[in-house]
Amino acid sequence: MDAIVLLRDGLAAALTPGNLLWAFCGVLLGTAVGVLPGMGSAMAVALLLPVTFQMDPTSAFILFAGVYYGGMFGGATTSILLNTPGQASSIATTYEGHRMALGGRAPQALGTAVIGSFVASIIGTLVVALFAPTMVDFALKFGPGEYFALTVFSFVAVAAVVSGSVLRGVASLLIGLAIGLVGIDGQSGAPRFDFGSPVLLDGIDIVIVTVGLLALGEVLHVAARGRNAPDLASIRAGKPWLKRRDVRRSLPAWLRGTALGTAFGPIPGSGAEIPTFLSLGAERRLAKRREQRGGGESEFGKGAIEGVAGPEAANNGSAAGSLVPLLGLGLPTSATAAIMLAAFQQYGLQPGPVLFERNGDLVWTLLASLLIGSVLLLVINLPFAPLWARLLKLPKPYLYAGITLFSVLAVYAINASVVHLVMLIGVALLAFVMRHFGVPVAPALIGVVLGPIAESELRRALAASAGDLSILVDSGISLTLYALVLIAAFIPLVSRVRRLRAERRERETTGAGTS
Amino acid sequence: MTNRQNPAQPDDSAETAETAEPPPTAGDADATEPPAAAPAPDADPTPDAEAAHDPETAPWTGRTAWVFPGLVALFGAVAVWGALTIEAPPHSPPPGPGVVPGIVGALLLLVAARMVFVNLRVARRIREGAQAPGAPGVDWPPVGIIVLTLAVHVALLEPLGWLLSGALLFWGVAYAFGARTWVRDAVVSLSMSAAVQVGFSLGLGLNLPGGVLELVL
Repeated sequence: MDAIVLLRDGLAAALTPGNLLWAFCGVLLGTAVGVLPGMGSAMAVALLLPVTFQMDPTSAFILFAGVYYGGMFGGATTSILLNTPGQASSIATTYEGHRMALGGRAPQALGTAVIGSFVASIIGTLVVALFAPTMVDFALKFGPGEYFALTVFSFVAVAAVVSGSVLRGVASLLIGLAIGLVGIDGQSGAPRFDFGSPVLLDGIDIVIVTVGLLALGEVLHVAARGRNAPDLASIRAGKPWLKRRDVRRSLPAWLRGTALGTAFGPIPGSGAEIPTFLSLGAERRLAKRREQRGGGESEFGKGAIEGVAGPEAANNGSAAGSLVPLLGLGLPTSATAAIMLAAFQQYGLQPGPVLFERNGDLVWTLLASLLIGSVLLLVINLPFAPLWARLLKLPKPYLYAGITLFSVLAVYAINASVVHLVMLIGVALLAFVMRHFGVPVAPALIGVVLGPIAESELRRALAASAGDLSILVDSGISLTLYALVLIAAFIPLVSRVRRLRAERRERETTGAGTS
Repeated sequence: MTNRQNPAQPDDSAETAETAEPPPTAGDADATEPPAAAPAPDADPTPDAEAAHDPETAPWTGRTAWVFPGLVALFGAVAVWGALTIEAPPHSPPPGPGVVPGIVGALLLLVAARMVFVNLRVARRIREGAQAPGAPGVDWPPVGIIVLTLAVHVALLEPLGWLLSGALLFWGVAYAFGARTWVRDAVVSLSMSAAVQVGFSLGLGLNLPGGVLELVL
């Protein structure tokens, strides 16, 4: 009860007309930056940090909260409309979201994303406010061994985004892992796969891979298909509001996504990618199971609204969850959290176990401003969803030329390096070859994002145990995760074998007559 | 060792189950019989002819079938080569920097081999009279124009400056997508490029190269 009273006081401090104006500006700015490919909320917050030096802490936090949520929604917007996610955490949204847009349901996809973000931020922030100490305890239990188990679990979630051949999915994942190997090895400092280029020592930036594989790869793929390509301009905006059926299907997905995001957000280093992919996988499985029970056809692969609602909620839930280690331990678990930490220090706040006691009022103000930010996001962006969807009405040559221009810009903005642009062209060509041969690019992205984490956690665990492999399985958390991996790998296998048997029987009986 | 290979476990078990399956209905979507307009096991069979060709499940045929397995093998070979040649600095803890590249490389080679196997099986079935599926062709000219434009843009970015090379990039891609209204295209390209340059240098403090215009002004 204490927490609720404190949160109310925080809200009272934060809710002034001036602060609301800051939140409004923040959401608009964040959405604008988030819409650019390769630029996510971390970039938006970083760009604004110097501006806030002049502001009082409360206004600054409110501005940050607005930018943060706006940036995440901006990323979802481009994922859905253009198949070009602005940041790693909106990759999971692209699969079903873009298919919904191609099917003329872009406003619904945007609507479910914005409401899902809202639901997740409200619930996530409240959960953080009420349970922060307990969550800190849980997060501290994650050592390298547990963390490696978590990444292995996420690799299995790859199965969630592969609809066709398992073999091609695995090939794509391995290519991603190989790309992730480039650069200085974080554990030993040895240069790997640098081919004598100093730029490659820093590794291949995730922005290059995302923009190349998804945005430019898409441009080349559409160009290659000529007149067979889906015509974006013919997408009709359709009715802007969610139908009751959409809400009924989104609601459980929002809640499941929120739970996943809030649970994984506090785990150091996990970021938002793992929960978004886990959520996408979970929704896909659930839809399939519902179909098997005869409860309505699974729309996955054709634009399922659950596949947008879940990951977007997970994304925002984990953003709230990542505040737990940030405030409770002073440990940033994502790029944005790291920038927020810098902002805290600027105001003389020292995040850590005593923060709640020493600077309680500011912490509660921050939590309150997150609530305000998410309400404003809903208010501002829900009416605009159909408007954003009209972006697709631009003439096709200009639309794709614009995507190309911003893709190049996003990569050049990393470090003003022309070598990065050469790498971008290489990755785009790889993506084009993969798309042409029907190899899914999603697993490659997962490999690039999570591969380095998996490797460093594995080697850190083994270094701690002096090479004893039993450290990987000596805790309840790891064992549970590996058990889930085995179950997740085993269930589709059994059902596939069963289905093939049934298919063969059918072919033997019907095929004899026709051929 | 067993734990380290866990990422691949679902794949490994899938392989064994697949090969255990009798040949006529091989378990992999790669090997779905070409003539059946074969939908993936988990894709719904749709009567729509357009939807029937799903590139993610269509088997590879003809000479181009070897492109992707070759690419995977190349990645694998480079990774294995790296694993063998990376020098671990002295006193680094036991699993050195070459271990994970080695595992990834070996798995890549394994996947490439498996792809070759699937390709051979598909080719044999086509020889036995099964109908080869028609793959959608590639419209090469636009792809070539875009790649060329990108290359020219990258080459000219620093000497010529963002404004001109960016406009060139925009115009080139628009041209590849069929824009032929010369004046309007040029105006749109230049204004997009200029808007980006102004917006980013003033608004976000990101410096884009000025190039030749810097010398003139």
